Amino acid sequence: MFSSPKIVTVVIQSFFYLTCSFVHQAIAADSIATPTGYYGVGNVPSATEIAGWNIDVSPDGKGLPPGQGTVETGEMIYDEKCSLCHGSFGEGVDGFPVLAGGEGSLTDTRPIRTVGSYWRYTSTLWDYVNRTMPFNEPESLNVNEVYALVAYVLYLNDLVDDEFTLNEQNLTHIRLPNELNFISDPRPDVANARCMNNCKNSEEVVIASSVVASVTEEKPLEVTSPEMPVVGQDTYDRYCALCHKSGLGGAPIVGREDDWIDRLPSGIVKMTQNAIDGFSGSSGIMPAKGGFVSLTETEVGNAVKYMMSRRH
Amino acid sequence: MEKNKNPGLTREKQKRTSRREVLRGIAGGITGTAMAGSAFAAADTGSTKIDKTHGYLPPDVPSWSKSLGPGVVTHPYGQPSKFEADVVRRNVDWLTADRIASVSFTPIADIKGIITPSGLVFERHHAGIPDINPDHHRLMIHGLVERPLVLSMSDLMRLPSVSKIHFLECAANGGMEWRGAQMDRAQFTHGMMACCEWTGVMLSTLLQETGAASTATWLLAEGADGAKMSRSIPMAKAMDDAMIVFAQNGEALRPEQGYPLRLLTPGWEGNTSIKWLRRLELGDQPWHHREETSKYTDLMADGQAREFTFVQECNSLITTPCPENPLRAKGKYQIEGLAWSGRGKIKHVDVSVDGGVNWREAKLAGPVFNKAWTRFSLDYDWDGSPALLQSRSMDDTGYVQPTYEQLKQVRGTNSIYHKNAIHTWQLLATGDVVNVQLA
Repeated sequence: MFSSPKIVTVVIQSFFYLTCSFVHQAIAADSIATPTGYYGVGNVPSATEIAGWNIDVSPDGKGLPPGQGTVETGEMIYDEKCSLCHGSFGEGVDGFPVLAGGEGSLTDTRPIRTVGSYWRYTSTLWDYVNRTMPFNEPESLNVNEVYALVAYVLYLNDLVDDEFTLNEQNLTHIRLPNELNFISDPRPDVANARCMNNCKNSEEVVIASSVVASVTEEKPLEVTSPEMPVVGQDTYDRYCALCHKSGLGGAPIVGREDDWIDRLPSGIVKMTQNAIDGFSGSSGIMPAKGGFVSLTETEVGNAVKYMMSRRH
Repeated sequence: MEKNKNPGLTREKQKRTSRREVLRGIAGGITGTAMAGSAFAAADTGSTKIDKTHGYLPPDVPSWSKSLGPGVVTHPYGQPSKFEADVVRRNVDWLTADRIASVSFTPIADIKGIITPSGLVFERHHAGIPDINPDHHRLMIHGLVERPLVLSMSDLMRLPSVSKIHFLECAANGGMEWRGAQMDRAQFTHGMMACCEWTGVMLSTLLQETGAASTATWLLAEGADGAKMSRSIPMAKAMDDAMIVFAQNGEALRPEQGYPLRLLTPGWEGNTSIKWLRRLELGDQPWHHREETSKYTDLMADGQAREFTFVQECNSLITTPCPENPLRAKGKYQIEGLAWSGRGKIKHVDVSVDGGVNWREAKLAGPVFNKAWTRFSLDYDWDGSPALLQSRSMDDTGYVQPTYEQLKQVRGTNSIYHKNAIHTWQLLATGDVVNVQLA
């Protein structure tokens, strides 16, 4: 079954780079062919070690672990962990991705690219949710929760009914509407000429759009200025801003004083303790250290102070 | 305070322009302490008092020539001069929902060579920057290999390594300009890119060490960040010039650039150069993951989408003059800029000052490396009249950088990625420069 990768290379290259003869020379120049295991570095991983990291799922379902989840369960998890960013119906909030809708919009001026309107394979959705969602707690969902969430997102896209139970057997049977609309890269797809003189009439040189005249006035740029670093700001920017800039999860928004007034009487010590230990109240949920367990208590404290100082 | 001559630029940039004006004034032979003093007072917008009795231009001798400065290791890790404090990465808040999955821009107009200092290299993260102790980092290689491996950083250091200079460019560089001129300066029109010296092990060396099955045609590269950022890479690229990189510009990778280990796929869209690389799996089909379906696919006008569009095609940009580097007096200048191609070396760069009617060939001003920034330069005698400046590069495959019209005709305006059209700067009679697009 196995052969020298050198031979493999030649076969594959001739497939991918039919016209580029320099490719093979590049290999010869950069690395000398050595037999497998020549350097003897590293260790052979155990099956258990590989399994811990080998999370990828392919369009044919390879990599899907056994499990199942219903649309109904998915809705409950979604409302708790996903809707803050993606909206109650997958419509997307404050620039976070839209998950549903947009069918037939791909040729519009403003196409809406969702699981239902654009994505190619159902496996991609399972892989991605499992790999990195929810945004602030990647890889925190168990297998059945992932199946349930994927089932719910498929339901939001009218691809399954509300009684549906998704599992590792039926996932690949759910075909997404846009599957066959992808093509391989045909570039170079344009051929400009290196004309040097009188390449067009000077009357044809017309400015069609200009930054000063058009878009920037409509939507002004907010440029980050290189201010002196303020204690707590770095932690805030990196870890806290996700919620405290947008109000995600009922978080008080920095710069919106009304959000902070009710919290002020408890004092900064209590607020810091809540931020460290986590807090759940009528106004919202604060996960312990915002879910970033690696933060020190001092870092959290400084970030709280920073946010308080910028509440106006 | 100086009047805002260019409404597209922020106050901060206006200040900086003023400072440059002053520097040019000095170079141009303006003498006399009173003049220079007042110019600097203007540059500082009144915030700093200049003591006019202590001049620093001839015939006066400045204070720094008559005193001692700080000694060695004042900054154990050196910093740029405080007068360069505005040469920094910037982001555009409205582009992304938050700064964790976001992008920042290299100050490309201020780069004075083909190497981007590590701290100025643009950033693109999908789940923020992980804080990785290299002792706790491993690279796993498995799948259709003869001998799966887990390698520590010290294991990797025992393998033969190479150093190469390559550009790294986000697929979306310039993507905000498809429908018309939108961004107000070079940093935002072209700054999702950088060029560095990269040091690491050729991926082909590692795959020879593990052995690869004859059926292996793709590999999955995966990061250790919260996004577990993943891309499918054809084996041909893996065995051609892909590198497993641990150093950048002579030092360990910066955390923003994938410390302690990243993949580098020279000439290909930046997201395929997976940062914080933890795993390579060989397989016989692409994985079609989220970042190669939902994102990083190019939607055409007819509703079809191109996938696995890897190459960053031949491109160029004039960085002097540009909105950040206006002209302030008539006379002789160098029109300067950068050109690059993901397919090979830059062969020619031509420059037009009349919106593309006539062109002159620029000089390639520095080393010409494969898939690397190449500087160009052309004499320009500015008579003070408005001009439309363009650069057009050609690589050693014979491909010539296209016009917007040519690109839009084939791709429409919804493809977001891989915009490499000839860019136009409008030089105004004031010497200010504005981003425009021609019909």
